[in-house]
Amino acid sequence: MKSYLVAVTLCVVLAWGCAHKPAVVSNPAPPADAHQVREAMAAAKSEPSRATTSPLPTSDAPSSPKAVAVTPLDAKSSLPSPELSAKSVSGNLDDYQDIEEPAPAKENEKENEKATIADPLEPFNRAMFQFNDKLYFWVMKPIAQGYSKVVPEKARVSVGNFYTNLSFPIRFVNSLLQANFERAASELGRFIINTVWGIGGLLDPAASKEIDLKKQKADFGQTLGVYGVGQGFYIHWPVFGPSSPRDTVGMVGDTFLYPSVYFGAWEVWAGSRVIERTNDASLHIGDYEAMKEAAIDPYVAVRDAYVQYRLKMIKHQGGPPPPGKPGLLEYD
Amino acid sequence: MKKPISIVITILIICLFMLPAYAGVPMNTVQANVNKVLDVLRDPKLKGEAAKEIKKKKLRAIYEQMFDDVELGKRTLGRNWNSLSVPQRQEFVILFRQVLEKAYIDKILAYTNEKIVYERETMISPTQAEIQTKVITASKEVPITYKVILKGGSWKVYDVVVENISLVMNYRTQFNDILAKNKPEQLLEILRKKVKG
Repeated sequence: MKSYLVAVTLCVVLAWGCAHKPAVVSNPAPPADAHQVREAMAAAKSEPSRATTSPLPTSDAPSSPKAVAVTPLDAKSSLPSPELSAKSVSGNLDDYQDIEEPAPAKENEKENEKATIADPLEPFNRAMFQFNDKLYFWVMKPIAQGYSKVVPEKARVSVGNFYTNLSFPIRFVNSLLQANFERAASELGRFIINTVWGIGGLLDPAASKEIDLKKQKADFGQTLGVYGVGQGFYIHWPVFGPSSPRDTVGMVGDTFLYPSVYFGAWEVWAGSRVIERTNDASLHIGDYEAMKEAAIDPYVAVRDAYVQYRLKMIKHQGGPPPPGKPGLLEYD
Repeated sequence: MKKPISIVITILIICLFMLPAYAGVPMNTVQANVNKVLDVLRDPKLKGEAAKEIKKKKLRAIYEQMFDDVELGKRTLGRNWNSLSVPQRQEFVILFRQVLEKAYIDKILAYTNEKIVYERETMISPTQAEIQTKVITASKEVPITYKVILKGGSWKVYDVVVENISLVMNYRTQFNDILAKNKPEQLLEILRKKVKG
């Protein structure tokens, strides 16, 4: 009896343990049974016109029994999406009811309040956004493209590593100021390892699987935020881009921790920053374009992304929310 | 007399462990769906420009299973959802889906064997969870979090957070900005143009 119970418990514990593998590397071929189960579930749920599981063209039947007349997305539409035109309403009609105030709406309000920023300078900011947009397309991008043709990607990643290593004092000092000693130690370790064994920071052996000290972010604007300084309002600087009074002070403060400031003339510093920016841009060609393409209002999209990003950096100091706690943007 | 007791105890033990074990389902669901997407992208039969439309169609079918686009639309509009009429809401959901498809399909089709790691699942409530993943490329790691909700027996994605930036929040800020100055009909018109343009 006892041994039987032990055996059952053991089996269940093992099965439970398997469901909680800490890191599952994606398997190119998912288990077939999972496929079947999901497909069976979907098939049982789907209405005749919702043949979602079938990749075959059978679902483009022009006359759908469930087609409700809402501004039909006609065949002329530049986006050829036969499945969409066949099915002009997504989901159940019940899903389209008003949202009730107490549940989702209030939560949204709370989120909104936290993740927005005052923008009294909007006309100026929008003009600067346009300026930076042109600066990118007319100057930065052509230079970065030329540069990436001459310098292979591996070398550019190395140059990026070098600059990251060079800005170590910013992350180290700010981690200390934030009393985040774990991160300070990690950054110090990274700096030593990468400087000594990474050819002066050109390589990043510290981030390898064996050592696993990944780069973490820390800056003075974040430090101020951790100590309760609010973001204030939005500023879109020419050249430097999204910022706030707090983060502008932070940016200026951090330059004093940047080693090349102390190496001779300002031209050295400026030149070094230009190379850094060009190198960085060459590794991210297409990102800005993709963001702009995806956005309805690119200016607002950039502003919001900046606010969300900074908020998260201050709240969780850049890392993911601790386990068991709800995510930042859900409820507090 | 001994037997029924042992059965009851067995059931109790199983129930006890089944509860936390159930927490693995959201991550498995996301992973199964992502794997389906990868299967389509890696399919050697679907190479080249000609197969692009077939791929898109297959991906659309997976999207419908994976995402709850009404929930996504609702959360994207936030409070403004109620200021749209029901037909407007229906059109919005479809337009928004097309906007997203147009914005991200090329990025998804450009996928080349990056590694995906499933790191952690966090239950936010019995019907909501967050799945943290990482896409690892040659030069960087991109953290991607899927927020899922339990609806009609299956876990569906209602928000994707890339590099700490929530897709839903980002669009919500933009839509709020537009709806603060315009009528819902004008927002729909902007979206129609975006889809066509």
